[in-house]
Amino acid sequence: MESFLFTLPATIKIRRQAHVGVVGSGDLEIILEPNDQAVAEITIRTGVTGHQASWEAVIQRFFKQHDLAAKVKINDFGATPGMVAVRLAQAMEVCCYD
Amino acid sequence: MIKTLKTSFTECSGRERTVELLDAEQYRELLGPFDGFESPHLEKQGIIPQSDDGVIVAKGTINGHRAVIISIEGKFQGGGIGEVSGAKIAGTLELVLKDCVAGKKTIPVLIYDTGGVRLQEANYGLLSIAEISAAMVALRRHVPVIGVIPGKIGAFGGMSITAGLCSTLLMTKEGRLGLNGPEVIEQEAGIREFDSSDRQLIWGTIGGDQRTAAGFADLLIADDTDAVKETITSVITGEISFLQRTEQVNRYKNFLTSVDPKHRISFEEVRTLWNQSGETSTVERHRSNVTKSNGRGQTWFDLLRGDAKEVGDLPSVRVADGIIGENRVRYIAVVPDAENYFPRARNGELGLLEGWSIAEHVREVITADRNGDKQAIVVIVDMPSQAYGYHEELLGIHQACAAAVDAYASARLAGHPVISFIPGNAISGAFLSHGMQSSRIIALNDPGVNVHVMSKQSAARITQRSLEELEVAAKKVPAMAYDVDSFEQLGALYSLVGDVEADTPQVNDRDRIYVEINRAIEDVQSSKSNDLSVRLTSALAKAGGRAAAISVREELYAQWT
Repeated sequence: MESFLFTLPATIKIRRQAHVGVVGSGDLEIILEPNDQAVAEITIRTGVTGHQASWEAVIQRFFKQHDLAAKVKINDFGATPGMVAVRLAQAMEVCCYD
Repeated sequence: MIKTLKTSFTECSGRERTVELLDAEQYRELLGPFDGFESPHLEKQGIIPQSDDGVIVAKGTINGHRAVIISIEGKFQGGGIGEVSGAKIAGTLELVLKDCVAGKKTIPVLIYDTGGVRLQEANYGLLSIAEISAAMVALRRHVPVIGVIPGKIGAFGGMSITAGLCSTLLMTKEGRLGLNGPEVIEQEAGIREFDSSDRQLIWGTIGGDQRTAAGFADLLIADDTDAVKETITSVITGEISFLQRTEQVNRYKNFLTSVDPKHRISFEEVRTLWNQSGETSTVERHRSNVTKSNGRGQTWFDLLRGDAKEVGDLPSVRVADGIIGENRVRYIAVVPDAENYFPRARNGELGLLEGWSIAEHVREVITADRNGDKQAIVVIVDMPSQAYGYHEELLGIHQACAAAVDAYASARLAGHPVISFIPGNAISGAFLSHGMQSSRIIALNDPGVNVHVMSKQSAARITQRSLEELEVAAKKVPAMAYDVDSFEQLGALYSLVGDVEADTPQVNDRDRIYVEINRAIEDVQSSKSNDLSVRLTSALAKAGGRAAAISVREELYAQWT
């Protein structure tokens, strides 16, 4: 297994926490919580090794599009980059919209 | 109006199932994903943990009735029960019990989606399932304990035994219920016994339809969320109720003895036999010629009982009433019987007849001492495993195990000191059924004493790791190791007795064990509790052996009200 931490500048505060997904085959779990600091902190643990570059690309792209000051925890069980993006969007929906 | 649109219950996630069943206003999740109680044992093995460890506990009401739902998420590690997830289930049931005892009636609902013990946390799962079972048996005296098996994974392993303890068990056609999973039977007993790639065989043997028709589940429900909620409500209000399976010893014994295991019986035959078993009178018991086994179980049983007369009726379940000092004691041991009626239980495995026979002999004691001094029960544990086979699953070995679990737990709750003595192997479903419900556990410190969940070959197959990888993992997580020293670290043993001739014990060895048993009996008699809490309050448990199990319970308690 591997773990990485990404820290990106962010300004918009989120109101609520969100939990989506499951640590099951081809899926991942995301926990999104408000962050007091003006950054997005993303901690990733994945069982599939050797894909740090893909992770970085997916995370950069998402947080460039969505400015969220959040603490994000990702527990991955072999999700594809597309799946990761969908789950991130779902998590954002839970914490930003009613 | 005809309702045509259905919301599938089976397709829901573990958390969605709790949301669907509880009334929205009162819904509250305990130890949820934001509380951060994940398994401390998985990362060490390179496995990604989940924030709720795969168990969702939610409090609230079901159509106005106070209830707690415990739902297992099957997609995370096959719904396997580890230290944290197990403690969430057991701890919750213990708190419900406390509420019920205090007069605050709360209905526990368990939604199964689990392969049983999480093999990566092995003996933690075993201990948890024993605690879950203990709480369920105690709870049933106050409220119905409702189980639902919606399907996808089903209820397997030790958790199938707990399903056998439910007051009411609901299944969908998608649900499966069995002690040994198809792959494990194939691994242990061969592909001719059970072909794990044969879907029809699997669903025909252990699917919801078959289980409901053959006496192992109460109702076959439609895969519809509203229907599930309505059915549960009818059980809560008492509109529908069922006989407790584990207490119907005679019927299940009739049922089993009406089977001729020499030929492979069909799914349909089992249904017919089950329906007839309610009508027939007691079938003449099958007895084989007893050739004594020479295993440790038999050796210690004979040594401990001395000249006490045997009162058992099955060659593989030895029962005798003796006296140690001033204590009346019933010894029970499961031993090999080369001519066992069910061939898969010939090497001393805990099989169908063994489970029900244990239940009968333990219940005898409870009935006899109802108004008097409580005889102690000494459970002598030396078994290679539970029996693996087609007939075993078809005829409900999980239910036979549950019958034994229920009987031992009921004896303990009635005030009988139940003491386990382990001179040999204490393994998996066999140990859960015969040994794990005891008030105190005594084991010999000997290389021939092993405590574990599954043979290494099967565990390797199921977790898709090599035997070498398993050995490495066992070094990091003592609960995965097989030796009794590692098991002792978990704090569940009352005593570990060294320097005893385990294979060829002499009179002085016997006397040392007598002393230990008497000490354990007195310890039970002087303590106020008749549950299994001593396993969590022992010095070793507190020193780290059960650290997560303890902290989960503390946090549950803090969030409870």
